[in-house]
Amino acid sequence: MGSLWAEIDARVCALGQFVTKNIEYTLRVLLMVYLSMRAAVLDQAQGFRTIVSVISAQIYFTGWQALPLVSVMALATGSVVVLQSMANLSLLGGTQMIGNFLIVIIVREAGPLLVALVVIARSGTAVASEIGNMRANREIEALESMGINPLSFIVFPRVLGGVISVVCLAFYFNILSLIGGFFITKFLQDMPFSFYLDSLMRGFAKEDVFIFFAKNSFSGMIIFVVSCYQGLSVKKSPHEVPQVTTQAVVNSVIYVIVFNLTVTTLFYLNQLQNLGVV
Amino acid sequence: MANEGRIGKVDSMKFEHVTFSHEGQSPLLQNADFEFPMNEVVWVKGTEGHGKSTLLQILAGLLVPQSGFFYVNDQNVLEMSFEEFLPYRLAIGYTFDYGGLISNRTVYDNLMLPLAYHKIIPMNEAKARVEGIIKTFEIEKFAHERPAHIPGRVRKLACLLRALVMEPQVLVMDDPSVGLGQDTLYTFVDYIHKMRGEGHLKHIFMSSYDEKYMSLFNYQVIHLDDGQIYQQAVDHEKKVVHL
Repeated sequence: MGSLWAEIDARVCALGQFVTKNIEYTLRVLLMVYLSMRAAVLDQAQGFRTIVSVISAQIYFTGWQALPLVSVMALATGSVVVLQSMANLSLLGGTQMIGNFLIVIIVREAGPLLVALVVIARSGTAVASEIGNMRANREIEALESMGINPLSFIVFPRVLGGVISVVCLAFYFNILSLIGGFFITKFLQDMPFSFYLDSLMRGFAKEDVFIFFAKNSFSGMIIFVVSCYQGLSVKKSPHEVPQVTTQAVVNSVIYVIVFNLTVTTLFYLNQLQNLGVV
Repeated sequence: MANEGRIGKVDSMKFEHVTFSHEGQSPLLQNADFEFPMNEVVWVKGTEGHGKSTLLQILAGLLVPQSGFFYVNDQNVLEMSFEEFLPYRLAIGYTFDYGGLISNRTVYDNLMLPLAYHKIIPMNEAKARVEGIIKTFEIEKFAHERPAHIPGRVRKLACLLRALVMEPQVLVMDDPSVGLGQDTLYTFVDYIHKMRGEGHLKHIFMSSYDEKYMSLFNYQVIHLDDGQIYQQAVDHEKKVVHL
């Protein structure tokens, strides 16, 4: 009996430590968001040109260079979802609902998540390893010694550029998967494009704009803040760089999924409340 | 637009009860009290691993001790934010024993970075200053190469020169002579003497194991031992340190 209590005690302790560690990590990441924004505002020396050049480079690497991969994913997702929706809704006799269905699946759920995963895989890893190497090579210390705050010079432009890239990529993903998906599957279905477009427009609500910006902008922020944080957590040795890069991917994926799930849950709870169900 | 007024003036540097240890290691500084000699070239000596680099990094504001006070002109800079400490930081040049060059910028851009970022002097003047330094040290061939593509000697030199382009009042150098080569070393020492003659680099703190290199300066010695800092008398006639 005593050993059972000891076992339970140990497990509760481990759970407590796990929760505390994660809360502490989240608070540290949030603190870095605040400090980097504060540094960017207070940094009188950092000129507009300096910050714009770093932001535009980030948009180029994260947004522009990801377009081929996002295009393939958007067309594949769009084709599959359009085809499956049409086939199943026709069986149920609800073809006119296809617009609502696609908006929910692609714009609200699949788009933000898939774009975030692409950006984590391509740019989150790149940012974490770049900053990790800078740390190991003492470049971050060098910036500090020159009176350049790494939070305003390195972190802030990457986060801002990342957020802009993710929002633009998500917009591109949505349009391409909804329109491109329809045309790719045209030889398998005979729905008129005007009917399809009309259904999409009817299915689109102002809440979707809110969800689009909330999910994509915060996902972008999560990915780049977590990646920068992990990169900066390198102490001295280059051997830590692959470790922090892996950790950046794992943490970004978890945070993005939890965030998307939370937004979706809150949105549907709000809808149920408006309908008087809860 | 030039911003020279943003640079602080450093008249004195003093430690009071400073304790510093790296994570999981025994303290390198233990309740240390010390007023650093100013207007001198100060040779920081100590056994390997006894905290010379750490002491220099604290002086440059790159490391924060766990406890104590670090006064610059009677102001405790350890309580200051990055922005509050900035005027002093701009007056302090720091060079690394290894690494430190920004890897995605050329040597020229590395040297230009502090001047272009802080806009202390007009851009054309900044360019002329950097081009002058590059010419003096005859590294024009490598000026537009990134650090990974240049010899180690030039990398080390570029790191040293980047601290000088701001013409700071305080120069903190960690093992500056290592890997520099004899000719470059003499040119570098001449350049430091020239700058000191022009009123810059008033206070120099450096660690080195190279007695030949140090004999090119009229130095004072401070010694790190058992977490404390001591000043030692130096016979400038013989360039010998008396314990």
